[in-house]
Amino acid sequence: MASVTISNVRKNYGAVPVIHGVDIDIHHGEFVVLVGPSGCGKSTLLRMIAGLENISDGTIAIDDKVVNHLEPKDRDIAMVFQNYALYPQMTVAQNMSFALELAKVDKATIRQKVDAAAAILGLEPLLDRKPAQLSGGQRQRVAMGRAIVRNPKVFLFDEPLSNLDAKLRVAMRAEIKSLHQRLGTTIVYVTHDQIEAMTMADRIVVLNAGRVEQIGTPLELYDRPVNRFVAGFIGSPAMNFVAGTLQAGQAGLKVASGAVIPIGPYPAEFAGRQVEFGIRPEHIQVADGNGLEARVEVVEPTGSETHVVIDMAGEKLVALIRHRISITAGDAMSVVFEEGQGHLFDADSGQRLTHTSATAAM
Amino acid sequence: MTASVETAAAQAGKPPRDWVLISLWISLVVVAAVWIAPFVFIVFTSLKSTAQVMTSSAFAPPTDPQFSNFTAAWARGRFSTTVVNSVIITAVKVPLGLFLSAMAAYALAKIPMRFGKLILVLILFGTMIPFQVMLAPIFTLVNGFGLIDTYPGVILPYLAFGIPYQVFILYGFFRNIPHELSEAARIDGASHFTTFRRVFLPVSLPVLAALFILDFVATWNEFAMALVLLQDREMWTLPLGLSAFQGQFSRDYGQLNAAIVMTVLPAIIVYLIFQRYFVSGLTSGAVKG
Repeated sequence: MASVTISNVRKNYGAVPVIHGVDIDIHHGEFVVLVGPSGCGKSTLLRMIAGLENISDGTIAIDDKVVNHLEPKDRDIAMVFQNYALYPQMTVAQNMSFALELAKVDKATIRQKVDAAAAILGLEPLLDRKPAQLSGGQRQRVAMGRAIVRNPKVFLFDEPLSNLDAKLRVAMRAEIKSLHQRLGTTIVYVTHDQIEAMTMADRIVVLNAGRVEQIGTPLELYDRPVNRFVAGFIGSPAMNFVAGTLQAGQAGLKVASGAVIPIGPYPAEFAGRQVEFGIRPEHIQVADGNGLEARVEVVEPTGSETHVVIDMAGEKLVALIRHRISITAGDAMSVVFEEGQGHLFDADSGQRLTHTSATAAM
Repeated sequence: MTASVETAAAQAGKPPRDWVLISLWISLVVVAAVWIAPFVFIVFTSLKSTAQVMTSSAFAPPTDPQFSNFTAAWARGRFSTTVVNSVIITAVKVPLGLFLSAMAAYALAKIPMRFGKLILVLILFGTMIPFQVMLAPIFTLVNGFGLIDTYPGVILPYLAFGIPYQVFILYGFFRNIPHELSEAARIDGASHFTTFRRVFLPVSLPVLAALFILDFVATWNEFAMALVLLQDREMWTLPLGLSAFQGQFSRDYGQLNAAIVMTVLPAIIVYLIFQRYFVSGLTSGAVKG
């Protein structure tokens, strides 16, 4: 177990900056997920922690020891790569023991550690196989086994589940999480998949264009996103956004079509401001006739829930309905925004304005 | 019309004839025949007496095999000397050249260096110079070092002309090995040399086998440079020994061809041993494997 402190870390490729001064404190035994869209710098940041990329400025410390100039092997970390990076000519056991062998650990101890890791991951029957003879999920487990035998201070995972099919991904997700609970080792995990981030992380770091947008627990990020980017990135289906001007007297939001949508109470001084109103799909509920008028455009039943794309005053919104509902495209529908669940973001900066107690009046 | 014929054939349970495939097979057989014909000629002639060579067709099998051609050729071509020289030169040059090339290619492909690209270009420049052009300067150089008629005197120039194209091939191969593999080794605590020896060399066995065959055959059969650099008959290699059969006044085709058979035999044996790697090595890197 160890802490990882990233202080004002920057990375430039030539004259092009890709990481613009990132600060993250990762505590002992914490599972931290770096999440963001492609090219946001999350993998670069992980590779800098691993020592595979040079740091242009700032410091990275593991357990208060600055590791900027330490070789990867001297940082006491282990990394699991997206494409597993298993040594193809070595057996599973040899793959797992390679690092210990290089560290000149005696054979009996190596055997014992490999067996222990194999037992944790259910790899015992596969120890004599070559990576080519394994399925994707098995290879992923071997890659984790290779990391576990070293008993490192920090595990680094670089999109380890991206190459697996959807079902296996869900299974491995649970496996990695339970592994963390058993071993208690600090984990830094990179993914572009916000569901993975939400389900596994103790804390999530949302990155965008080389900057930290928000750091927080999954539910903090979900319930109180600090800006429009985080609000739109976290959650599936994504949060709905409606751009418009706030009207005086709590009248609501005047949208492009000229209509005014009532969004509930907001501070009076916001009147006249250009904003984006955000509301999550599950916070749009069917009303019995006295709600806001909308027209159904698309109905997508998933079994457990139904996603309904509606048109409200020319704005497209997605509503997530958890009970069975019999509607078809073209139907008129009456909806309400759930109380206290609206978000307001400044139209220019995208920063959060307030957590409205929306629709309290409705 | 064609479609209906094919449908009818398919319905009758016979696969339709693929004329493209058939013509490809025919051309393959023709090409193979053209390549095999000289070999058949050599083997047949090696077993004929001079009289038989003159009176029978070149491709007629020998009626009375003259195995004595081989013993006579062994003595006349001084094979007991030339074989030893060829074996020593090839056994040193081929593995050493491959090892040096592989290390150079690894360094160029995987170790960030300030002038890496420039060094690569300089090495590749070596593949563009035909060695025939360089024969005279090489002779002067080797002579200057006092290495004429020595093993190093011929092995060093062989290495100089062999390494560039091997580096070229291996560089391309190593570049295609995912960088995560060397990064994983780096995190596991492997030095560059360990990564090279334990991870890259085993992965590269097919391409190394292919290069081994090509280099073995090229070195074993090399004539021009050996002719210039090895003037003492005691230092001659097999191809130089063959020239003993081309006297001004006598030509014994039976013995000459027996000598040729004995000369190319090791190359054929090496090819047969490594050929399955050879084919996979030639196509390696073509698709992501």
